[in-house]
Amino acid sequence: MASPVPVKEKKLMEVKLGELPGWILMQDFTPKGIAGAFQRGYYRYYNKYINVKKGGFAGISMVLAAYVLFNHCHSYKELKHERLRKYH
Amino acid sequence: MNENLFASFAAPSMMGLPIVVLIVMFPSVLFPTPSRLINNRLISIQQWLIQLTSKQMLAIHNQKGQTWALMLMSLILFISSTNLLGLLPHSFTPTTQLSMNLGMAIPLWAGTVITGFRYKTKASLAHFLPQGTPLPLIPMLVVIETISLLIQPMALAVRLTANITAGHLLIHLIGGATLALINISATTAFITFIILILLTILEFAVALIQAYVFTLLVSLYLHDNT
Repeated sequence: MASPVPVKEKKLMEVKLGELPGWILMQDFTPKGIAGAFQRGYYRYYNKYINVKKGGFAGISMVLAAYVLFNHCHSYKELKHERLRKYH
Repeated sequence: MNENLFASFAAPSMMGLPIVVLIVMFPSVLFPTPSRLINNRLISIQQWLIQLTSKQMLAIHNQKGQTWALMLMSLILFISSTNLLGLLPHSFTPTTQLSMNLGMAIPLWAGTVITGFRYKTKASLAHFLPQGTPLPLIPMLVVIETISLLIQPMALAVRLTANITAGHLLIHLIGGATLALINISATTAFITFIILILLTILEFAVALIQAYVFTLLVSLYLHDNT
């Protein structure tokens, strides 16, 4: 199963299923690596949806929707008491 | 019901870690840095708004006061964006916490007062006595003016906290009332729903106005002291 490109440098979609555990373990989990991952993700989203010539409302509205979802998940514990149910 | 009402104002923490820091830093994600002469639409809109506001706000200051431009503009941007984000469902508004508003109001007010005392000591002390007061009233008036000066930071902080908290509470209560009334009487529920819509429009306005008032007052205190 030796592939010509080393497993560590492949992107996720090109890693074969059998190599997946090894790929996950070889990723960079240092603080610098995690910060780099966040930065790459941020610029991927920014350059695709916002930093374009004719960006629309969808760019920021997706961010706001994710924010609402995050807060909903976080306060689910208090919210589940307010469901419409006969017996709580 | 009582605990539920105030639970949304508790500082959020995930497994003991205060993620309130993340929530306070979140509005900065929505204001990207301009990197070119002509930027994308989001940045262009924000630049236009900031230019409009800063010209209006800094017109009354002299050279020395205008060095505070960055501070005042970032203040109004922060408060308005935080307040507007707080209107989204289930979100946490940092400006409902008195601790945060005191942390904003006291250093800014103290900065203006200390600037006044350092560079124009006589004029700053003269503020304590309005012009043309009759002689017997002077001691009492000095005391009153001192108290009104010392109460300025408290008033700034409490005004912002109370307005935003009251607005959020009203929305919670009236929303709950609308839901409870649906089964009892549809017309009353509809009327309450209209009230809720009007209230939400008011809250949008209040979010912006409170930011403006806070910044305007700080700039006024600055104008007195430069």
